[in-house]
Amino acid sequence: MTETSLYVLQQLINGLTIGSTYALIAIGYTMVYGIIGMINFAHGEVYMIGTYTAFITIIGLFTMGVSSLPVVLLLALMTAIIISSTYGYAIERVAYRPLRGGPRLIPLITAIGMSIFLQNYIRLAQGSRDLAMPALISGGIEFGDPDVFEVSLSWMQLIIWGVTLASMTALALFISRSRLGRACRACAQDLKMANLLGIDTNRIIALTFVIGAALAAIAGVMLGLYYGTINPYIGFMAGLKAFTAAVLGGIGSIPGAMLGGLILGITEAMTAAFFPSEYKDVVAFSLLVLILLFRPTGLLGKPEVEKV
Amino acid sequence: MHRAIFPALFAAGVTFLLTCLVVGIRLEQEGASLTVVGADAETWGWIAFAVIGVFLVQLLQQPLQRLRQRLPTADITGLLPNEMLLHRLKPWLIALVVSGLLVWPFMVSRGAVDLATLTLIYVMLGLGLNIVVGFAGLLDLGYVAFYAVGAYTYALLSEYYGLSFWMSLPLAGLLAAVFGCLLGFPVLRLRGDYLAIVTLGFGEIIRILLNNWTSLTGGPNGIGGIDKPSLFGLEFSRRASEGSQTFHEFFDIDYSSGHKVIFLYLVAVLLVLLTIYIINRIQRMPLGRAWEALREDEIACRSLGLNPTVIKLSAFTLGASFAGFAGCFFAARQGFISPESFTFIESAIILAIVVLGGMGSQMGVICAAIAMTILPELAREFQEYRMLMFGGVMVLMMLWRPQGLLPMKRPHLELKTS
Amino acid sequence: MKLKHGLFGNTLIATGTLIAALNAQADTLKIGIAGPVTGPVAQYGDMQKIGAMMAIDRINAAGGINGMTLEGVIYDDACDPKQAVAVANRIVNDDIRHVIGHLCSSSTEPASDIYEEEGVMMITAASTSPGITEKGYQLIFRTIGLDNLQGTLAAEYIQRNIKPQRLAVIHDKQQYGEGLATTVRDLLAESGTDTVMFEGVTPGDKDFSALIAKLKRNNVDFVYYGGYHPELGLILRQSREKGLDTRFMGPEGVVNSDLIAIAGKAMEGVLATAPKSFDQSPENMALVEAFKERDEDPSGPFVFPAYTAIQVMTEAMGATGKTDPYDLADYLRANRFNTTIGEIGFDKKGDLTEPTFEIYTLHTDGSKTPVSQ
Repeated sequence: MTETSLYVLQQLINGLTIGSTYALIAIGYTMVYGIIGMINFAHGEVYMIGTYTAFITIIGLFTMGVSSLPVVLLLALMTAIIISSTYGYAIERVAYRPLRGGPRLIPLITAIGMSIFLQNYIRLAQGSRDLAMPALISGGIEFGDPDVFEVSLSWMQLIIWGVTLASMTALALFISRSRLGRACRACAQDLKMANLLGIDTNRIIALTFVIGAALAAIAGVMLGLYYGTINPYIGFMAGLKAFTAAVLGGIGSIPGAMLGGLILGITEAMTAAFFPSEYKDVVAFSLLVLILLFRPTGLLGKPEVEKV
Repeated sequence: MHRAIFPALFAAGVTFLLTCLVVGIRLEQEGASLTVVGADAETWGWIAFAVIGVFLVQLLQQPLQRLRQRLPTADITGLLPNEMLLHRLKPWLIALVVSGLLVWPFMVSRGAVDLATLTLIYVMLGLGLNIVVGFAGLLDLGYVAFYAVGAYTYALLSEYYGLSFWMSLPLAGLLAAVFGCLLGFPVLRLRGDYLAIVTLGFGEIIRILLNNWTSLTGGPNGIGGIDKPSLFGLEFSRRASEGSQTFHEFFDIDYSSGHKVIFLYLVAVLLVLLTIYIINRIQRMPLGRAWEALREDEIACRSLGLNPTVIKLSAFTLGASFAGFAGCFFAARQGFISPESFTFIESAIILAIVVLGGMGSQMGVICAAIAMTILPELAREFQEYRMLMFGGVMVLMMLWRPQGLLPMKRPHLELKTS
Repeated sequence: MKLKHGLFGNTLIATGTLIAALNAQADTLKIGIAGPVTGPVAQYGDMQKIGAMMAIDRINAAGGINGMTLEGVIYDDACDPKQAVAVANRIVNDDIRHVIGHLCSSSTEPASDIYEEEGVMMITAASTSPGITEKGYQLIFRTIGLDNLQGTLAAEYIQRNIKPQRLAVIHDKQQYGEGLATTVRDLLAESGTDTVMFEGVTPGDKDFSALIAKLKRNNVDFVYYGGYHPELGLILRQSREKGLDTRFMGPEGVVNSDLIAIAGKAMEGVLATAPKSFDQSPENMALVEAFKERDEDPSGPFVFPAYTAIQVMTEAMGATGKTDPYDLADYLRANRFNTTIGEIGFDKKGDLTEPTFEIYTLHTDGSKTPVSQ
């Protein structure tokens, strides 16, 4: 393989990794939007809390003398999912449910308020410094010609791909096969009608928040382990990017969120690869604007029907 | 009561889950190693307090609600005198408020006047965004971009061409309007939240471009030494620059640093009054009516022969131009601007002002702008907790009064049956 | 013996307090300490605060200055330029005429405008942007070296000792980082070393894999990074994971124990320009002890410059017998001072006449060794 193609391959690997985590977080945005049509701005903070929970659990377990890495990671993942889901549930219950049925802008403002609140809540509880953990899973495989360009693929990147794929498959199965999944789809189609048919819509809405939060927590644990550092401000940018991914793919559509995440990740990596990397975000947002101009409902979004 | 016990236990459990790990245990970094320590007894006390509190509130929800029903509801509008009287008194009230605004700064401290100036900038921004969000119902999350365009217009014109504040002010508004128009034209066919995200993206793009275009904007270094506005060519500095005269020399009074601050404040008052006046007029024009009609029902508007694109574009452009004015004034007040003053959180705060005030209501927006800039100042003693409270208050306010502080009242006629 | 000593000490302190209390009624001189108390860089504001407060307390304990006691008044600008203007106006309004601060250059710049105009003396112990003192201000001073000094030092060192074939200069698109990076690139270009890669990264970003792949592709053999520790830490960590072993060099903004935490073993051998570690110098041992007694950390880069700022200001007050900022400014420019950051003087612009930076190699255990040049 030529030097350029190896380089592009390396950047594809990088882009896929970051893209799959965007996709995981984006699902939370897209599911909530699909059902109640609101942008849950606090979702990025739920991801951040998931990362903190994972760090606390991992370090806590090590301190208690649990040394088996798989056990520690599994427990951390479970704790992060539980705590983040609780946050997802509580945010919906406290800040959004009382406002349901009102003008659509109102929950958006509570969401922004919630996001500021949670960010500062964690800052006060855990400090604003960057906290860092040594790499737990290091190493990887390298291939390509060492004289031309060596492509590296770390175990951690492979794990991120694997976990993302597994979570996505589980979600897809849940949505398409299970009773609750069917109820979710019904709510997304028509909330009022679903309610009339005896679906407890409040429960389903809470469920979407919980699922979204759980996936964000999974992304949080993965990224926490991958980068090894956290601070209370990581939720904002991650949330913004994931939201962009969700809109890119067509907000409300779950496959769209996955596709949007991957496209965004790869675009960023490719921009950084061939242009000055400070223009990475400009290109990402411009891509979004362009796609929306030509496909106003995103790549996989259904065209909105105007109802009179 | 016994039926309430399970939900109450559940809520308490949720609260415990929310707090136990992230508050109850603290990560501490010591050199290269990360350790966990349990929080101190006081923190655990607070956690217990929160859990028990939530439990009790949930348990006693029904009695509490009954109690609340007996309390008078929060109705601010009831505090105002009746409408007819208000209408008759209106010119006097306006005169009173304006004269109060003009006299007030001479009696208070310099810090207070400066804070008031900052507040007025937010009032102007809030009023401008109110056109877009409140009247036309277009969700704009990148309003700060136009604010930045205005600020940079003045900064660059003053730096490269030596234009004065008064020369730059209309240009800044014009340029921001052009940007609004350019952005608005392609994106206005998007609906609702898509529009929101595109404007958000646009806001970020402008900020990043300002940051990256070092040769023109100074990049992250920003632009400094921006001139303050002058009064018919009279400067408010201690020593006059070449070829001009200072205010205190001209009137032969002692130099006081307060003059400049008060003058800036008065300029801000002037701009705000002008903004209110213009918006008030436009609101009553066919254009203003069309905005509101469009917000309520786009399809009906189209069938009545209104052109939605033109109407939306006009709202967008006008809103942007007010942000441009505000930005120009902001640059003059600061004397130094850099891209970090124009982040997304700024957009969010301006939007919060509009929504908190009651969308579409000018009075409400003004009140909210005052509250949003002064409250954090008052809460300075809580320093650490300031932003936490800011976020919390935003949530609680919306839960308490979703329609905003002073919701917009539409002019309406009622047939009185005797 | 010990008991006696303790008794004597107590009496001394009691007398000191008494004098201070008496003076407080007679005359206190308020000194504003402006910097971030809240916000993401509050920890740096804390460094400035403990340094300045320590100096104030020690001067008061020694009987104050010209019969006045000093009182430090803390102002929070949250490192936000908008707040900084408000704070500056409040300080002028509170009739305070001596200020230590601000911290972030982007806050210091708009604030210094107001201070100069209103006749307030400002000494910043942390803002290193060259732009601040370039406007020919009379009352603005600093007790810390400028960015371009660090850049010059780094460029000279790279040219002389490293002689890189393929140099990359990376920065974080912020005032501090980009300024340094540009200085280094330009100076090296003048002396014949071309930069093959000059790029910015986004502050707060976590993923640098694309950048690292690019560094690898360009066969870079030395990287100068202009910016702060969180990004450099991650770049180092990810570089080593991806098999990039290039040597890195950074400015004083990366010298922080958090760099070790973030990068771990990957930071061993990183070069950095940093202020001389004042808390290591033998003359300051007593002061370091005093900080430790208060349970404060004297190792932050701004602690001693802030201490020095108060020190020179009060020394000028003592010598001139006045507190008027214009008299003090003249005295500061005309004299040399023996301070905790060494013997210093101020030039016409208000900057230090001698560089206070040195080049160090950083180590994983938190120590740093000076590099022979």
